[in-house]
Amino acid sequence: MNAVSRSTASAIAMAAPVAVGTLMIVTFSSLELLGHTPFAVGPFRNIAEAAGMGAASEVLRLLGNGEDPNRVLPIRGEIISSSVRQATALEAAIWSRRRELVELLDRRGAIVDAPTRQHLACLAGDLEALDIVEFLSPGRSQACVHGHALDVVLERTRTLEPTR
Amino acid sequence: MSRWRWLSCGYAALVAAGIGYFLWDVPVQVSDSYGNLVTASQGTLGSLVSSEFHQRAYLRPFLWGLIRVVLDLSRGHYFEWFRGWHIAQIGVLIVLFLRLVRPSTWSGAAAVPIGLAALIGMHTFAGTVQEAFPINTFMTVLICAFAAADLALGPHALWRDVAAAAIFVFAALTVESGLLIGVVFIAAYLVGARGVSRVGIGLQLSLIAAYFVLRFAILHVGSPGLEERPSGFGLSSLSPNELVARFGSNPLPFYAYNVVSSWLTVFLSEPRGGTWGFTRSLLRGEPSPAALVNVMASLLGSFVLGLYAWRRRSDWRARRFDRADQLVLIFIVVAAANGVLSYGYTKDVILSPAGAFFAVALAVASQHFLESIGTMPSRRAAAAIVMVAVLSTTWSFRAIGAHLGLRGSAAALRGEWAFVDLWLERKSQVPTDPFALALKRRLEDDAVRRHPLRPMLAGRWMQWFSE
Repeated sequence: MNAVSRSTASAIAMAAPVAVGTLMIVTFSSLELLGHTPFAVGPFRNIAEAAGMGAASEVLRLLGNGEDPNRVLPIRGEIISSSVRQATALEAAIWSRRRELVELLDRRGAIVDAPTRQHLACLAGDLEALDIVEFLSPGRSQACVHGHALDVVLERTRTLEPTR
Repeated sequence: MSRWRWLSCGYAALVAAGIGYFLWDVPVQVSDSYGNLVTASQGTLGSLVSSEFHQRAYLRPFLWGLIRVVLDLSRGHYFEWFRGWHIAQIGVLIVLFLRLVRPSTWSGAAAVPIGLAALIGMHTFAGTVQEAFPINTFMTVLICAFAAADLALGPHALWRDVAAAAIFVFAALTVESGLLIGVVFIAAYLVGARGVSRVGIGLQLSLIAAYFVLRFAILHVGSPGLEERPSGFGLSSLSPNELVARFGSNPLPFYAYNVVSSWLTVFLSEPRGGTWGFTRSLLRGEPSPAALVNVMASLLGSFVLGLYAWRRRSDWRARRFDRADQLVLIFIVVAAANGVLSYGYTKDVILSPAGAFFAVALAVASQHFLESIGTMPSRRAAAAIVMVAVLSTTWSFRAIGAHLGLRGSAAALRGEWAFVDLWLERKSQVPTDPFALALKRRLEDDAVRRHPLRPMLAGRWMQWFSE
């Protein structure tokens, strides 16, 4: 290598990797502005997906847009698990063990009646999310059949799968 | 302007646009910002600033003054003004970086990307962008520090002496790290920069003395004690009670530890906040890939700086300094002083001035190193080129990591706004004042609805960029 080619090679070695990184950032930003976000989970398709990912601000926003936290909604397999693809936002929040999110939804009146609260408390118990059980059912006042609430949620996904 | 400078400016504009885009996604935070805005809104600007001269432990009246000015200017558009201010600050910082580095040759232009990557990717920089109070005082000090170096390295004029004094007073009364502005001027003078005259330096020394007299003898502000907050020590962190129990009777070893830790973190990215986290994970056999990249980048960067100092040692001994020497030596003095200033508490963002000057020094030392490769024997040149490529790649990872950190921070801050009512109740700070209530509603609306969460980045690849 002569001095000129050495200088050229060293300048490229120094500038190129960082410049490529910067171009990646600028390209990513431009794509996102155009509505495409590479390497991302989302955007969330509904309030249940947002709750499953613990995205509290999105849960709040979608709630404000009129989405129902008690409605069973489709959830992509990568959000919680491939065996949980049908759940309400409240169930998804419990599944992702977000106690504060459950509390937030409760404050917004999402837990509409005692049977719903019981189902959620039992689901939290089945998932061993003890802090959520304590919040929903202080002193474990709710009577649960072990595994039943969990089975209710899993069954929804099972019924979606084609029979073999 | 030469084509190399144009090229560097174009590249810097891309960097500013990229970081600006990610910064625009970060909402005004709840903790440290909402309460500060409520406080800053009370009384007049004059009464707010003067009351801050009588606080305990901290003397930051101009921080509050600046928050109040931007708050009043915003007329309710808080997100746009405070975030816009932050982005403008980044732009100014990058312009000042270019003014200091002055790329005018191919080698200078080739070193600009690595310097900017170090500026943004350095761990000490994260705290200047990921949070704000709602104006990030550390970013303000970085701008003042670069402006100080730019003033000092220019040709002398009387107005520079006056401007130097004004910048010092503004920075020192904004946050304690602002005292480093005086250090920049003095260091520059010691290495032959005469933009600020001997009289101007005398004024700086008088102002530094006046600051300490004002703080300790007149206002009795004092400084934070051991019981203020937890602090990293060794492989873990000590709570305030543990700190008092261990160092209450003789805090000098703790202070010495903080000073040395602060110096090391600038050059090695380890320890962080006094904790040797990477070493701990290495001992456990499970080092984080991102931390490994960080340490490698810093080690190689420090090696290039060390090599520069070694090659220039005879000129330095003879007190012959060119502009690049001056920038590297200013960095060394600022790093030393920044470490000393962190004696009571060491944290990444406190060392941001040293980190920013590290980036400047790395850019000029890298330029020097590039120029030397042309005269090396072939094998050594090949090894040097490989090293340069690794150096650049690792800093590239760190710069990308800084952007991802902003995205993560934006998501976390939105989460805080979702739980703001719970948070305020737990802190017994539920607002009743109409302004505070309206401000909360507006900021919550900004964070949750008007600028909603962007899709969350995910994947195993992220472990190489974010710790």
